[in-house]
Amino acid sequence: MSDLDKAISELRACKIIPEPQVREICHKARELLIEEANVVQVDAPVTICGDIHGQFHDLMELFRVGGDIPDTNYLFMGDFVDRGFYSLESFLLLLCLKVRYPDRITLIRGNHESRQITTVYGFYDECLRKYGSANVWRYCCDVFDYLALGAIVLGTSSTLEPSFMDHSQAIEPVDNDVEIEIMNSRNEVTARFPRSRRRLFESEALNSSQPGTPSKIGPSGTGATSDAGGSLQSGGGAVLCVHGGLSPLIDSVDKIRLLDRKQEVPHEGAMCDLLWSDPDEIDGWGLSPRGAGFLFGSDIVKRFNHLNDLSLIARAHQLVMEGFKEMFDSSIVTVWSAPNYCYRCGNVAAILELGEDTSQGGVISRSNGDAGRSLQLLPSNGIPRSGPGRRYRVFDAAPQDPRGMPAKKPVADYFL
Amino acid sequence: MMPVDGRAGLNCVPQTAADAGSSITQQGFKITTRKLPILKAEPIEQMTAKLGIAPPEMIFGDNMVSIEHSSGWGVNFNTYDALDRVDKTGDSMLQVAHSREWQSTREKKHEGITEVVKPFDWSYSTDYKGSVQSKSPAFEASTKAIPLELLKRPDPILFFDEVMLYEDEMADNGITLYSCKIRVMPQRLLLLCRFFMRLDNVLLRIRDTRIYVEFGTGEVIREYVAKEEQYEVVRQKLASRGQDVPAQLRDPNNLNDLLLIVDKSLESLVVR
Repeated sequence: MSDLDKAISELRACKIIPEPQVREICHKARELLIEEANVVQVDAPVTICGDIHGQFHDLMELFRVGGDIPDTNYLFMGDFVDRGFYSLESFLLLLCLKVRYPDRITLIRGNHESRQITTVYGFYDECLRKYGSANVWRYCCDVFDYLALGAIVLGTSSTLEPSFMDHSQAIEPVDNDVEIEIMNSRNEVTARFPRSRRRLFESEALNSSQPGTPSKIGPSGTGATSDAGGSLQSGGGAVLCVHGGLSPLIDSVDKIRLLDRKQEVPHEGAMCDLLWSDPDEIDGWGLSPRGAGFLFGSDIVKRFNHLNDLSLIARAHQLVMEGFKEMFDSSIVTVWSAPNYCYRCGNVAAILELGEDTSQGGVISRSNGDAGRSLQLLPSNGIPRSGPGRRYRVFDAAPQDPRGMPAKKPVADYFL
Repeated sequence: MMPVDGRAGLNCVPQTAADAGSSITQQGFKITTRKLPILKAEPIEQMTAKLGIAPPEMIFGDNMVSIEHSSGWGVNFNTYDALDRVDKTGDSMLQVAHSREWQSTREKKHEGITEVVKPFDWSYSTDYKGSVQSKSPAFEASTKAIPLELLKRPDPILFFDEVMLYEDEMADNGITLYSCKIRVMPQRLLLLCRFFMRLDNVLLRIRDTRIYVEFGTGEVIREYVAKEEQYEVVRQKLASRGQDVPAQLRDPNNLNDLLLIVDKSLESLVVR
């Protein structure tokens, strides 16, 4: 067993690993991450996860529900640390898995992967408490600076494959018409939504004749894509994953690619917005009442998706009681993966599975820049672009390790 | 169109941290607490419409503490009423520490985006003192303070609970919360309902409402104390004491004596 595998099994048992080894793993992780683009390209199938916030036991539950690495390909959208009691174990485990299986796990940066935020919200204190010095915190922060800002998922399927664990039951064929399936942690389907809910926004977006509607054909998620392109085929289209949301400074995925990300999260600018902004029921852009931070409306998302040939934006950052929340005619979804957040909210968590498009014998219907190539695949009836088949697995908090957990019953005290 | 979210997967109602209700009756006073998970999407939408402002991120809308007397008099603390007393206009709106820096760079680049969406006091500062259930007897101004000496006695605690009404992380710019703590002894009870807000590098607020009940006499005392101080002043005071500042700033109990009183009232009544 290699040192790395040993470290993984220690961390899986929620035990910390020696400081020199943390240093080495952080160094290796940084070498890997430095090679990644600001927007990592990920091929479906992939399981997309939202905030973890140091809830180690719930991360283990997530792996139990979603399948283990490397069997399942994971994409984590940041906020690994702070709030929970096991930020160190959670982040170091994810990092070790990244070093061990670099092609099976993608980590992108959340607003908590920052020096400033972690000193206030617990990770710094946890490192001090568990190691007696801030060294491990420093190693981790150096890794934070190299985390990608986003990811783009290509080759998704518009239909749902049977769940990977379905072999335990009689395989029930998933109707090709099912767009969304919700499963619980016992691998039982709790709801299905057919694709009849055709999205109207395509016509809206086209009719509003936004300036800059692309005329070139290129890869999804680049400024060079065309409205004649990619996801009108049998595939589910490209999915952009970011922690927070969009930025008024960013009108194409290519502009994210041009940012200099290797730094502490700044207080303003495009990089800040990608990690901090929130969708809201407004028109256009708005300022948050807090005086810093943007809110963006339905029209912004639909235009961005259209211009970048995306079918969906997946983001995290906001607590949702139900684990996930699709907004704006399913053009954006919030995924939240920390059940019973802060050990007291009682919410459920979710992960989002996107299947692989195998309808063309494994040839991914990815626009690759060949002009007109995708036109042959256009359905003659001109059905508008629709999102990938989406399976949400909803799960509860893991039974907690009693050590260090807040007592369920508060302890009586003689407060005044 | 029906929004799609996890509400369809109803087999997963979490039981953690949930406590549908517990109560004790002591000499004609019934004390009840209720603790349930944060609200789901639909009740949040209803509450948003009714309140007129976006509720806090962690909204324990079903939680409450109540004290009811057999005569019909009663007072309770509930989430909706606490939030209903938050300024909904934006007149008393606070801004995060780096707001000016943020906006100055933003104004140059995006002249179009200047409108603050639905302004309101997003610190959820409330002067809530509880919801009284009947008009009589009414609280009247008083000078008699809560008898601390009686509360310092190590009488057995027959009932104790802590109930959270709401909490918000202020988009990682601090913390704001409203929590209630109650202890019932054989002869008396004390309920402390506390609003606590820390806007990092800007301001700290504590607003305490204490309800004291002497069961034997039916006397009820309500004390409200609001305190504030600039963040930097408190930080310096803590630093000069040589304490771990970030940890201290998380616990309102450590900050109570460092903040200045800005508002105060004392009322009482007698139920029979």
